[in-house]
Amino acid sequence: MDTATFRRELEAWLDANTEELTPPYEGAGTMDEQLAHYSHVKRALYDAGFGRYGWPESVNGLGGSPLLRAIVGEEINLRGLADPSPWTMIEVLGPTVIDFARPEIAASLVPPFIRGDEMWCQGFSEPDAGSDLASISCRAAKTDGGWVVSGQKIWTSFIQYAQRCVLLVRTGEPGSAHRGITALLVDVDSPGITFSPIETMHGRHDFAEVYYDEVFVPSDRLIGEENGGWQVAMDILPYERSTTFWHRGALLHRRCSDLVAQVAALGDRSDTAAKALGQAFQSLVAFRSRSRDTQHRLAGGQQLGVETSIDKILITSAELELFEAARDLLGGVVEFDDDLDAAMWRTDYLYSKAAPIYGGTAEIQRNIVARRLLDLGPDS
Amino acid sequence: MSELIGADDLALLATGFEAAMAEAPGPGEADQALCDLGWAELLEAAPTQGAATAFSALGKSNSAASLLDDVVANALGTAVSPDTCVVFPSPHQATAPAQRRGDTVMIDGLVSARVHRADTAVLAVGSGDGTEAATVDAALLHLSVAEGVDPGHAYRKVSGEIAANALTPLATGGTWEAAVAAARSALAHQLIGGARWMLVEARQHAIDRVQFGRAVASFQAIRHKLAESLVLIEGAESVAEACLHDPDPMLAALAKSLAGQAALTTATHAQQVLAGIGFTAEHQFHRWMKRTLVIDTLFGSARSLPTEIGYHLLECGTAPRLIQL
Repeated sequence: MDTATFRRELEAWLDANTEELTPPYEGAGTMDEQLAHYSHVKRALYDAGFGRYGWPESVNGLGGSPLLRAIVGEEINLRGLADPSPWTMIEVLGPTVIDFARPEIAASLVPPFIRGDEMWCQGFSEPDAGSDLASISCRAAKTDGGWVVSGQKIWTSFIQYAQRCVLLVRTGEPGSAHRGITALLVDVDSPGITFSPIETMHGRHDFAEVYYDEVFVPSDRLIGEENGGWQVAMDILPYERSTTFWHRGALLHRRCSDLVAQVAALGDRSDTAAKALGQAFQSLVAFRSRSRDTQHRLAGGQQLGVETSIDKILITSAELELFEAARDLLGGVVEFDDDLDAAMWRTDYLYSKAAPIYGGTAEIQRNIVARRLLDLGPDS
Repeated sequence: MSELIGADDLALLATGFEAAMAEAPGPGEADQALCDLGWAELLEAAPTQGAATAFSALGKSNSAASLLDDVVANALGTAVSPDTCVVFPSPHQATAPAQRRGDTVMIDGLVSARVHRADTAVLAVGSGDGTEAATVDAALLHLSVAEGVDPGHAYRKVSGEIAANALTPLATGGTWEAAVAAARSALAHQLIGGARWMLVEARQHAIDRVQFGRAVASFQAIRHKLAESLVLIEGAESVAEACLHDPDPMLAALAKSLAGQAALTTATHAQQVLAGIGFTAEHQFHRWMKRTLVIDTLFGSARSLPTEIGYHLLECGTAPRLIQL
């Protein structure tokens, strides 16, 4: 299906089902409410067909370009019908699991994930392996019919709602760095997995510390090759910076529109206000334009890689500028007000501070640009 | 919107333009060399894309060719000719460079070096009824003699008054708004071309220059400056490219603003990485840096455009959804 027809039909369907798809809670809602509504919207999209386009038939998709997935997320976010955070998991993990997991595993486990019946999480970071991902130490030892995993992970988002986890484990010698890492698809209800949620500064339990105590993982849950986990991780990262970012960009666009409308309603027609709005908007457009190019390269079958670090830096700057502008122009809304609208600005403002940290820090992205795109040679 | 030209043909044109610009010693020779290569025909057939190709080459080569006159004249509906020059708005402005007061027209703007060779000048004149384009005998323009920071480029100020009856209204033509958009989109490509040149120079210097027993490119402070420059250039270039498919004036304003910001930041970072040699007249860097300062001020700058864009947003009461998948 061509993208213009798809968007038209999707828009018509969303218009006809707005009431059904609008969150039943006010404001941002609790995490329980958000996740329940996310599942609801995903299921409705799946049952109407829109949620199956852009996914291969091998996982019950209806095929077509990944642009169609970008369009679905864009429309949902522009209309504020679901929070984009839970949505990132399927877009980040889905494509790589389909390409690297055993076909029968992907065929049986991915469809409920696409339909919103399941949530998955991503077990990459560890207390001693943040930016330096290749130094992970959570271990998997070979045993009869699979592996036994022991160790600790951190910043695992949504594990309290998740059925599966894409887990990076050390299968090589301790010093084997990226050569001795393996990716496994683990059931979160496996005996030996415990977790304790971490409260963020914006008052949510987005992520958790996770403990793996001799957790058995069957051998058919291998993703990619044994000791080939780095390749899996490197395949995932560009997805994190393509479709997902397009969705988040749409949310930022809606919030930018909200800000413009509120500043206009306040009657602030000062140069200061205009300049802050203009700056934030232009950074957003730079990101959106760059991300559009990236979506088209992905849809054209190109392998995305390190150049998506530029997309990450651009969306981070845009997000920070937008919510700083909101703080500057809405006079104390972040600091003092408690109504629903203020709570949303406060949440967004505080959450924007995570943007230069998650998914590879701002500094790591600049290191990648310097080393891989500018070819500046090794750093000191 | 114009027909798009094939990528191979464009690459060929770009190479031809760059070679011609590199060889021509002055603005007049450069203009003539580009005309011989079919610049006028290209601009008439594919205004946005043709301008993007030529201005990108202009930025990289730092040539003094006066192509902006042609872009604006073409957008206003006059024939492209090396004998026609255009009066541009004052620095940081995009409003008409002339105002009509009764029988008199007050001019306050900029002109390129072409003014010395041209017979005819195109002048946008604002009045209570909006902006109208007209032609005037180029000899009537009173030129100030200031050479400015970038004499090679030879944009200079023009001011004074002429009689309203000296103007010949342009019979057919595009709007001033469309001409501003065309200029902004073209200048964005020039700024990006120049920024890329400065980044390449700074990168090479960082790799070659050894201090403390190692290339300065190995220091994170240097690496991050160059990385930030590339990120801004890529973001701005993507928006400038988007202008090829969408003539929206807002998009052109955004492209010019982002390109100005990218080029100014790259100039600052590149100069710091080049360090002492980048402050000398011995290194070519200063020529690109000064050209960046000049081009940034034309048709709205990185300083003035965000404010202009912001006022436009406040007028709309919403953020328009530019750039579609």
